Amino acid sequence: MKSLFKENILEEANTWIKSNQKVVLATVIQTWGSSPLQVGSKMIVNEKGIFSGSVSGGCVESSVISESIELIKKNSKFKKLEFEVSNENAWDVGLACGGEIKIFIEQIN
Amino acid sequence: MKTEILKEIIKKKSSKQQFAVLTNLQNSNSEIFELGKNLSKEFENNKTEIENYFKLKKNGIIEKTEIFIQNYIKPINVVVVGAVHITQYLIDFVQNLNFEITIIDPRKYFTTEQRFKNINVINEWPDEAFKKIETNSHTALVALTHDPKIDDPALQHALKNKFFYIGALGSKKTHLNRCRRLKILGFKDEEINAIHGPIGINLGGKSSPEIALSIISEIVLENYKRN
Repeated sequence: MKSLFKENILEEANTWIKSNQKVVLATVIQTWGSSPLQVGSKMIVNEKGIFSGSVSGGCVESSVISESIELIKKNSKFKKLEFEVSNENAWDVGLACGGEIKIFIEQIN
Repeated sequence: MKTEILKEIIKKKSSKQQFAVLTNLQNSNSEIFELGKNLSKEFENNKTEIENYFKLKKNGIIEKTEIFIQNYIKPINVVVVGAVHITQYLIDFVQNLNFEITIIDPRKYFTTEQRFKNINVINEWPDEAFKKIETNSHTALVALTHDPKIDDPALQHALKNKFFYIGALGSKKTHLNRCRRLKILGFKDEEINAIHGPIGINLGGKSSPEIALSIISEIVLENYKRN
């Protein structure tokens, strides 16, 4: 996405915070090879695991959600996550497309 | 990220000027960057690199640092002349793609609020309407009335102001006549040839949503070509 002005994930994060939810913001900070979403793609997760937005088109979301819930539980500020290519036959987290991505998760508070 | 920074970013987005958000990946501190703005101690050592990424509108981790930069770029504006049926479908596509949209149509019965809720609709002739909006090389024109009285002045404005995309609805014959009129007005062949007519990528469909899809596809294609 060349222009991010109207992407409304941050506005949505703000709405969640106003309704007293704990919010973790996940951002794609680096990619290698054929990863599905570009650098800057965002997703938000609350303490219950409800999420909005996307960081990989479905490949690693579940792991980002559990890491985000963990971040809230431990009350840590941030964490860097790295995902590599997965075995296509396994029901495992990873990128079937053969790419690699680095995701930064951080609490908004 | 602090909630205050989040609110500041949201506010900044409404100003529609290019800015960037810097994040220190070692402590998750963030701040807003604009050209000419002083940076806090956290980021000032990398000012030159930050400015380079900003100028190139490049997102990512700045080399040899732990700084992540994300640029917020001014969205392109799609000006649609003619508040017709195709326009209603164009709105959805344009909004999902994060573009802005402005609709111009002097015909009041076309521009009722019921048809275009929360959209910037200018109910005037193109010459007057263009005085009210900023247009430049980030603007696209979609002329859909196929009435020369309304479309032609808009096309002239778009040509003079170097819009990155200019498309006009109508058959090959209609388009030839249109080109002839513009030539008489003094526009050069190369300028006139830049007008996409018949408008849109030929997908084969004739329904309004299909035409809207073919137009928006062409705009996206042209937008990537120039970047």
